[in-house]
Amino acid sequence: MPDRAPTTSPAPGLSFYRAPRLGRGWRIFLFYSSALVLTGLVSMLFADLIWRSGWSVSGLCLMALFVVLFLLTAVGCVHGVFGFVVRMLGGNGRFERGQDHRSKSLEGISTALIFPIYNEEIARVYEGLRATFESLERTGQLQRFDFFILSDSTDPDKWIEEERRWFELIRELDALGRIYYRRRALNEAKKSGNVRDFLSSWGRRYRYFVVFDADSVMRGETIVELVKRMEASPATGLIQTVPALVEAESLFGRIQQFANRLYAPVFIAGLDFWAQGFGNYWGHNAVIRTEAFMQCCDLPQLPGRKPFGGQILSHDFVEAALLLRERWQVWFACDLEGSYEEAPQTIIDNAAREQRWCQGNLQHAMVILAKGLRGVSRIHLAMGILGYLASPLWLLFLLTFYWMLWYKQYTGLSDITVHNFTPFIHLSGPQHAFFIFVICMAVLFLPKVLALVDLAMDRDRRRAFGGILNAVGGAVGETAFSTLHAPILMLWHTKFVLVALFGFDTGWGPQKRTAVGVGWLEATKRLALHTVIGLFWGVAVWRLDHRTFWWFAPVVAGMVLSIPLSVLTSRANLGTRARASGLFLTPEETRPPLELAGLRARMEAWRAAGEMTSRRRDSGMAAAVLDPYVNALHASLLRENRLNPNYARVLKEMGVGGPEVPVLRERLLTEGPEKLQRREKLLILSDAESLPWLHRQVWHRTAETLSPWWQAAVREYVR
Amino acid sequence: MNLPPRPEPSVRLTARPLDDWNAAYSKVESYFYALRVRNKLHLNRLVALVLERAMSRAAREQGRTATELAVEEMDRLVNEWFADVLQEHSTGAEMLSTRGRLALLLADLSGKWQDQFLRPGPWPPEFVTAMRETYLRAGPDFQISQMAPRPLDLGPISTLTEFSRLPYTKMVVTWTLFALLLVALFILTHH
Repeated sequence: MPDRAPTTSPAPGLSFYRAPRLGRGWRIFLFYSSALVLTGLVSMLFADLIWRSGWSVSGLCLMALFVVLFLLTAVGCVHGVFGFVVRMLGGNGRFERGQDHRSKSLEGISTALIFPIYNEEIARVYEGLRATFESLERTGQLQRFDFFILSDSTDPDKWIEEERRWFELIRELDALGRIYYRRRALNEAKKSGNVRDFLSSWGRRYRYFVVFDADSVMRGETIVELVKRMEASPATGLIQTVPALVEAESLFGRIQQFANRLYAPVFIAGLDFWAQGFGNYWGHNAVIRTEAFMQCCDLPQLPGRKPFGGQILSHDFVEAALLLRERWQVWFACDLEGSYEEAPQTIIDNAAREQRWCQGNLQHAMVILAKGLRGVSRIHLAMGILGYLASPLWLLFLLTFYWMLWYKQYTGLSDITVHNFTPFIHLSGPQHAFFIFVICMAVLFLPKVLALVDLAMDRDRRRAFGGILNAVGGAVGETAFSTLHAPILMLWHTKFVLVALFGFDTGWGPQKRTAVGVGWLEATKRLALHTVIGLFWGVAVWRLDHRTFWWFAPVVAGMVLSIPLSVLTSRANLGTRARASGLFLTPEETRPPLELAGLRARMEAWRAAGEMTSRRRDSGMAAAVLDPYVNALHASLLRENRLNPNYARVLKEMGVGGPEVPVLRERLLTEGPEKLQRREKLLILSDAESLPWLHRQVWHRTAETLSPWWQAAVREYVR
Repeated sequence: MNLPPRPEPSVRLTARPLDDWNAAYSKVESYFYALRVRNKLHLNRLVALVLERAMSRAAREQGRTATELAVEEMDRLVNEWFADVLQEHSTGAEMLSTRGRLALLLADLSGKWQDQFLRPGPWPPEFVTAMRETYLRAGPDFQISQMAPRPLDLGPISTLTEFSRLPYTKMVVTWTLFALLLVALFILTHH
């Protein structure tokens, strides 16, 4: 049975204790000083280890790389530790503590819920919207909200399907005048441009807007709560929720979603500890004050060529930074439940998303020193950049280490006996190295352990994860998997960084979200290089020194096993088996909220009806021309679009209504759509006068005057 | 089983082969079917009505095929009915056709009003209201405005020149001192 989880999720622990109030500056100082002190002390130990064999250029490089990499790990660890302590002290939901928002009324407040989409799986997007709509309806506040599907789709078939299913949706939900649909003729500036276009057309009508991703679902109560919080805090420009990953079916997807649900509360509480009202924006599942956004967040074009110049790809971080620059606050709603999204279902799809994010985050290097940005914004941007730079640095670290071992073996030089910390710590060389390794592992895994302790102290949450034993089992499995996955990502990230630095544009394709599995051939194509590198490296280290090989074994194993790992973890049946055995359970799986239970049932119905299978090419064109209703709907939407002077101008610039269109539509009928380029099809489909004309022609003309493609399409309508 | 004898191909109706009328029937039926007219009796009566009108023209227009005549009559019949129901006699044919089909979609012809399709008036008031007063709105009225562009000085040099004014300078200086202290400690203990 679907269950109703509470909208707010109070942290477990010592709620009677009130943490002392600290200023933001002190929080940041305390937080990052902890990471730096930890890094400093462990770096000393590492320097001492290198000192044992005498200093060299490679030793200095290794030292520098260690400091940077350990600092990043320490920052992650400190997030976990601080987050754990904050939750134990009952400090979660700091925003809530300072504001009286519950009594706020939504009377007279209008909010838009916007769904920017780009060639997406339409059924999934609309079912997510339906789940949110129905949930909002249950709160009794639906009339305060309007829904906007903001399409940037460039696939003609997707475009027509979006319109057709939009109409079905509004009819089923009786939501004419409540759920709107708009497609931009030109998807300039991609998602950020899409949102700006909405704001330029309708922004003034709404005090707030909530941005959704194509796979987002939000609980109605959560949305109402967010708007009330905005009302209570006029200085707040944006509140970002922490979306829970849900609806994964593959083993990979379920592992990711388990990690997200188990570790995120602790990490985000740590993030919220130092960020406070200087938080960040992750692009969706966030409520935004329209006026503030319109005043501050018109993104500049960056100077230079792509990929660093031009349009800002990862616009969300920059938009948060621009809001903060103008003294608006940005908060994390880390205590709010009821915000969901989906994640890639396979290692390969995940890498494709990483590639896009990598280019976007590296581009932030152009912005990070921009005048007037708040220091905290620079930290957010720097962390985003380092998240990807860490991989090539790690690879360099491993290569440098290997080089030093090889050099020592090749030259036959012995260690120079020098003074070091040995008199104080009484460790031999191998013991010393092992001690540092243990510290590194502790720093890496401590947040995970703390997340488990945090879970153990909360009975409800513990049960929602299937019990503490299942959660521990899941954490062990997730750790084993991430150990093997990390070197795969390391090589990929390194490639992405190099690709970006050498000036190649990665492009922004639509994200694949469904669990369709990865075949052996595809995995081999994508991961053959990983495997070869792993094999070569493994053999090289083994030949160098058998004992050293075991230090490299996890890294080498991840690379060598990358193909089977990618194939096996992409399978939904393994995900289902793991679930049946209680592994990687999440609260949304054990107690599905109404929104997700309904979404799941409807998606299953779509699949059973065969609606999720890919349609024949140009099926959208066939429907738009032949079907009397789809044709009328499409032509009517085009005419409405022309009422916006901005759209009318863009359409004219595209050539709509120009001399090319009559030629193209005649070619469409006589040669068939397969002979036209996508741009030409889009031009015809953008012309409000051509669609009724085509409809009439295709039904009136004799078969001989139509291309075989159209003859076949008409025959499908013949009973 | 005794099947009725197949008509001779040479059998003609209004100077056209029967097969031609069969093709015309099929085309008209398909279009009405595409309009979601699913009631077989009503569908057959409508097709017959269209073909009767086409046949009445056939004798005069020898150069036209039966299908051409039938789809023209179908178009004319449907548009005349749209004009009557929607009270839009002055609207152009293609615009009227689009408007009429959209009205049928919004009024839910296939679900509620199949029996009213192409029937002469008067029609039930509820049907007339559904056809005339339901308008598709894909968005609320536009309220065009522009976002206010704010200049963003990206130059790192200009930022670095004001480094001392950055709010976190003290913090960074403290951390640098800490790092220097570690280096000093290391040097002192290794000589």
